[in-house]
Amino acid sequence: MRFFTATVLGLLTSSLAAATNLTSPSRLALPADFKPQQVFKNTNLVRNTNLEKGYVRETINVVVENIDKQAQTDYYIPFPSDVFERVGGFEVRDKKATDKGRFVVDATEAVSTSGNQYFIVHLPEPLAPKSQITLGISYSVLNSLSPRPATIGQSDKQYLHYAFSAYVPSAYQTITQKTKVKFPSTDVPDYTTTSDLKSGADPERKGATYTYGPYDTAKVVPGTEYPIAVRYEFTNPVVTVHLLERDLEVSHWGGNLATEDRYWLRNNGSELTSQFSRVDWTFANYQRAPTSAVREITYPLKPGSVDPYFIDDIGNVSTSRYRPGNGKTAGNLELKPRYPIFGGWNYSFKVGWNNDLAAFLRETAKPDSWVLKVPFIQGPKASEGVQYERVVVRVVLPEGAHNVRFQTAEGSSSNGLPGANQIHASLSSFKTFMDTLGRTTLTLEVDGLTDEARDAELIVTYDYTLMDALRKPLTLFGGLLSVFIALWAISNIDVSIKKR
Amino acid sequence: MAQSSLDVLLKGSSGKSTRGLLRIIILLTIAAAAVASRLFSVIRFESIIHEFDPWFNFRATKYLVQNGFYSFWDWFDDRMLPPSQCLRVVRSPRYHRAALIQFLPHLGTWHPLGRVTGGTLYPGLMVTSGVIYHILRLLTIPVDIRNVCVLLAPGFSGLTALAMYLLTREMSHSPSAGLLAAAFMGITPGYISRSVAGSYDNEAIAIFLLVFTFFLWIKAVKNGSIMWGALTALFYGYMVSAWGGYVFITNLIPLHVFVLLCMGRYSSRLYISYTTCDHMSALGVFGLIQLVAFAEFVRAYLPGKQFQKLLTSMVLLTFGLGFTGLVLLSVSGVIAPWSGRFYSLWDTGYAKIHIPIIASVSEHQPTAWPAFFFDLNFLIWLFPAGVFMCFQNLKDEHVFVIIYAVLSSYFAGVMVRLMLTLTPIVCVAAALALSTIFDSFLVMTKPTPESKEKANADKSKAFSSTKKPVVGIYSYFSKAIVTGSLTIYLLMFVAHCTWVTSNAYSSPSVVLASRLPDGSQHIIDDYREAYYWLRQNTEDNAKIMSWWDYGYQIGGMADRPTLVDNNTWNNTHIATVGKAMSSREEVSYPILRQHDVDYVLVVFGGLSSGIWPDEIKERDFFTARGEYRVDEEATPTMKNSLMYKMSYYNYNSLFPAGQAVDRVRGVKLPAESPTLNTLEEAFTSENWIIRIFKVKDLDNFGRDHSNAVSFDKDLKRKRATKKKGPRVLRTE
Repeated sequence: MRFFTATVLGLLTSSLAAATNLTSPSRLALPADFKPQQVFKNTNLVRNTNLEKGYVRETINVVVENIDKQAQTDYYIPFPSDVFERVGGFEVRDKKATDKGRFVVDATEAVSTSGNQYFIVHLPEPLAPKSQITLGISYSVLNSLSPRPATIGQSDKQYLHYAFSAYVPSAYQTITQKTKVKFPSTDVPDYTTTSDLKSGADPERKGATYTYGPYDTAKVVPGTEYPIAVRYEFTNPVVTVHLLERDLEVSHWGGNLATEDRYWLRNNGSELTSQFSRVDWTFANYQRAPTSAVREITYPLKPGSVDPYFIDDIGNVSTSRYRPGNGKTAGNLELKPRYPIFGGWNYSFKVGWNNDLAAFLRETAKPDSWVLKVPFIQGPKASEGVQYERVVVRVVLPEGAHNVRFQTAEGSSSNGLPGANQIHASLSSFKTFMDTLGRTTLTLEVDGLTDEARDAELIVTYDYTLMDALRKPLTLFGGLLSVFIALWAISNIDVSIKKR
Repeated sequence: MAQSSLDVLLKGSSGKSTRGLLRIIILLTIAAAAVASRLFSVIRFESIIHEFDPWFNFRATKYLVQNGFYSFWDWFDDRMLPPSQCLRVVRSPRYHRAALIQFLPHLGTWHPLGRVTGGTLYPGLMVTSGVIYHILRLLTIPVDIRNVCVLLAPGFSGLTALAMYLLTREMSHSPSAGLLAAAFMGITPGYISRSVAGSYDNEAIAIFLLVFTFFLWIKAVKNGSIMWGALTALFYGYMVSAWGGYVFITNLIPLHVFVLLCMGRYSSRLYISYTTCDHMSALGVFGLIQLVAFAEFVRAYLPGKQFQKLLTSMVLLTFGLGFTGLVLLSVSGVIAPWSGRFYSLWDTGYAKIHIPIIASVSEHQPTAWPAFFFDLNFLIWLFPAGVFMCFQNLKDEHVFVIIYAVLSSYFAGVMVRLMLTLTPIVCVAAALALSTIFDSFLVMTKPTPESKEKANADKSKAFSSTKKPVVGIYSYFSKAIVTGSLTIYLLMFVAHCTWVTSNAYSSPSVVLASRLPDGSQHIIDDYREAYYWLRQNTEDNAKIMSWWDYGYQIGGMADRPTLVDNNTWNNTHIATVGKAMSSREEVSYPILRQHDVDYVLVVFGGLSSGIWPDEIKERDFFTARGEYRVDEEATPTMKNSLMYKMSYYNYNSLFPAGQAVDRVRGVKLPAESPTLNTLEEAFTSENWIIRIFKVKDLDNFGRDHSNAVSFDKDLKRKRATKKKGPRVLRTE
C-alpha cells in the first residue's frame, strides 16, 4: 500500500510536467554487422527452465563482471529472431536488491548477419571496472513446446518436446554455467545425454529435475550452441489464447466497474488421431481421468464481483457456475465450454461481471484527480498454465476524463508483465450511451503474456471534474427539451385546407 | 365534499381531460402488459432467436446491418462474404444469374445451387429492425442487433394493442370497447403464439401493420379524406413488403368496397379513399368503382327506381364476367397467380397430394377445434355476439368487420397458421359485445320510465332493426350477477393467457429445459453445442448435409453452408438429401461425394434424462419415412439406411452388453452396433441429440470403403494377438 501511494504521488508531481506518459514501443535499429562489445564477463550463470506449464518459463541468474576499463551501463542479451518474438514478460533485476524494481530494458531489431535480436539492459548505475553485479533475468517463451506424437488417441497420454541449447545464449564469455530443467513429472521418455561436455553423468537426475552442467565454458566462443532435446509427459491441455480483449468500464455515476474479457482460445496439444468419440469421453469424464482436453476453466474473480455472465457467439453457455466469495475471499467462476477442447480445436467466449467501483477507485489529495487500480488481466487459473499471444486491455474512463497516465504496480518479484516501454499505449474516444464527446479510452496492447501476469495491477490516474460529471444530465435535459419544443411547434402548425 | 371534488374531476371539460389522461395511462399499461407477457423466454432462458425460420431472418438482418441496403438487395446467399466479393460478380453484365450460380458453387446455402436471397424474402422485417438499430446507434445507445431482433416482436405487440384501440374506437361509441379490444389483443394467446420475444418472424410486425392498415382504411372510408387514404396506401405497401399474408388485405379491402357497392352504399368518401390507396391485384374492383362513379353521374339524370335496377345488374354482370375470365385464365394456365399454399386454402386436401413438404409442416394443417379455445379462450364465444352487434348497427365500418370475420374464420379453420389473422377481428367483436354488456349493466342509475316511453315513441318512428334497442336494467342484483360473472371470465382469461404463454409458446426450441429428479432446472443445450463445434472446428466452407428443418439454424449458428434449408424452394434437392439419408451406404456415398458434402448431421436424442418434446423424434424420422421401427425387428432396409446407422452407431457401447435401450422411443436395440464404412463419427453432443459424421475421403489404395474397413479390422485383430507374446525390452 505504501508503495502504491508512493507511485501515485510520484506520478502526480510528474504529471504537472508532462500531460501524458503514453508510449509506443520502438525497437532500436542496429548496424548489420553489430556485435556487442566484449566489456562484460559472466562469471557464473545458472538457468532454471520450468516446463511444468504449457509454456516455458526461464529464470537466469548471472554474475556479471565488467572487464573493460570504463564503467559500463548496457548489458546485451541475445535471442534468435524467431524466439525473440515469442519471449514474453521479459524482466531484469538486481538479484541482490530486488526491491529496487526492474531495470529499463530496450528491444532491438534483428541484426542481419547473426539473425539475433537483443534486449539491452540499462543498469541504473554504471558498473565500475572489475566490479560485479548479479542479474536476475526472467521471461517466458510461448509456443515453444510441440506435441510428439503430433496425434494421439482420445484417452492417451500426451508428450511434449522441447529443444534448447546446453550453452545459454549469451553475448559474453561465460566461465561456468548450468541449466536446471524442471519437468511436471518423472515420466521423461526421451532426453539428450551429453558425453563430452563434462565428466560424470550429464544430465544429473533428481526426481523431476534434470541438471545439465555445470560446464566450464571459459573457452567456448559466445553464441556456440549444443542442442538438447527432451520429451516429457504432459497430459494436460496446452491452452493458448490467440487474443484476449479486456474491457474495463468505469462509471462514476453508477459507482460501477464493469469488466468483460473476450477470449479466442485454442488447445495447442496433440490432435486426435481419429475423430472425437463421445462414448470414450463419457467414460473418461466419469473416471475423471487426466486428459489433454480442456474440460473446465476456473476463473477466479475479485471479492464482491456480481452479475457474471459467460456467453459465446451464439448466446449464453448454460454450463457455468459461479461461487461468489464471502466478502474477503475471491469468487470462482467455473466455466465449462460447450464441448471439450481437444488439441487443435478452437473455442471463443466472453465472460463479464460487475464490481463496486469504490474498491478500485479513490480520489487523491488533489481535488478532481482520481486513481484507478485494477488487475491487468484476470484470466483462468489452471495448473497447466495459460499463454496469451496478444492482450488488448481497454480502460474506458468517464466522458471528459483527461490527463490520463498509467503505470503498472511493481513489487519485489516479477509481475509477469514486460517493462512499461514495451506496452503499446494509446488514447481514443469511445461513444456509447448518449455521449457527446465520447469516453476517454486508454488502450494497452501487449504481446506474449502468460498467466504469471494474473497478479499484475494496472494503475491509471486521470482528472475528472464536476462539470464533466454533469455533462450527461445536462445534455439529456437539453435534448428532451428540444424534442418537446419541436413537438409543440409542429403541433401548432395548421396544414389543413379547410376554411378557417 | 369528496363527492364534489370527484365531480370536478369527472364532469365538464376537466372531466374530459381526466378521462383522456386515464385512457392514456390504461393504454400504456396495456402495451406494457403486452410486452411483458412475451418476455417469459428471455427471463427463463436468455435473449435468443427461436425456432427455425427466425434464424434466417436474423442472419439476413445481420447482413443488412453490416453491408447496407443495396448489397442486401443483391444478396446471393453466400454466408456473409464481404459484398465486394460477390457483388462484383452479380453486377457484372457478363454473368446472368444462372452463370453466377456456377460461379459461386461452393459458398452458398442450397449447395451447390445457391439461393438468390434478395429476391426470395420479404424485406420489411429486416429493414424495420435495421432502421431501429441504426436510430439507436445514432443516439449512441449500444444495442446488439440480436437484442433488437429478439425484442422486435414484443415491441410491435405493444403497438398492435394501441392500433387495436384505434380500430375498435372507430367501430363503437362506447369508450370501453377500444380499451377492452386493446387489452384482449395484448394478451390473447392466438397472437402471442407468433410474437414472443425471440420469434423474429414476419408475423411479428405484420399483425401490427394489418391492424393499423385496417384502422387507416376505416378512417379513410369514414372521412373520405385523401390523407387517410394515402396513409392507408403507405402502410399497405409496408405490409406487402413484410408478409406473404398481404394477399389477405389485397382481397379484403376490395371486397369491402365491392360489398358496399352491392349494398348501394356508394359515396364520394368511398371513391376518394379507395382510389387513393389503389392496389394492383384489385384492379377489377378499381375498374368497377370507376364505373360506379360514372353511374352515379348518370343517376342524376335517371329516376331512382330504374337506376337502382340498372346499377345492380351492371355490377353483378361485371363481376360475373371478371370472375369467369379469371377462372378461365387460371385453368388454362395463362396466369398462375396462386401458389401451392394458397391452393390449400381452398382445397384442404390439395397440399397433401401435390406438395407433401408444405403439408408436412404442422402449421399448415387444418385447425383442430380445441385450438380455438386454447388460443382465444372466452373471446371465441363473444365473437358471434360481437358480429351480431355489427349487424344491429350496420354502418360501412361494420360491414368491414362482418366481411373480415367471415373470411378469417374460414381461413383459420383451414390452416392453423391463419389463426393469427382471425385473432384481431375476434378481439374487436368480443370487445364490442362485452362493452355493450358493460355499458348496460354497469350503470348505477336506474333508467327513468320517461326515457322508456320516449324510446317506445321513437320505435314507432324508425325501423326496429336499424334502431339500437334501449336497454335498462332495474335490479341491482342482476347487475351484480352479470358484471360479477363477466369479471370472473375476464380474470380467468388473463390466467389462461398467462398460463398458455408461459407453458406453450415460450420455448426457444433451440434450448430445451428439463427437470432433474430433485426438481431443479436442467438446460439441455445440445444443438448449440454441436453447432458451435462446427463453427469453431471445421473448415470455413465445409458443406453440411442435414434434414432441411435444421438448415437455417446451421446457417445462423454454425455459419456453414448447407445443402437444403427451411426455404423449401427446390423439392427435388430436398428429395435428394432424403434419398441420401435413407438409402444404403453404397447408394448414399456417391450422392454425398457428388454434392461435396463434408459432414452429415443427424438429430438423434436417444439418451434422454428428462421430458422431451415430441418433435425431436418426429421431425427427423416420422416426416422422413412415415412409420418405422428401430428395434431388432426393424426391416433390413431400415437397418441399412444411412440415417439409422448414423443414429445408432456406437450407441450400444454406453450400455452393458445386449442392454442398449432407446429411451425416447422405448425400444430395445440390437446388441451389435451398425458398422459405418463411408462415414466416421466426428462429434456427438452431450445428450446424444446431435451427431455429426465426417464423410471419408476416397481410400488411398483405391479400395472401396467396406473392404478397407474390414481389412483394418483384421489387422487390428492380428496385432492384438501378436501383442500377447513376451515383451522385448528395448536396448539402446
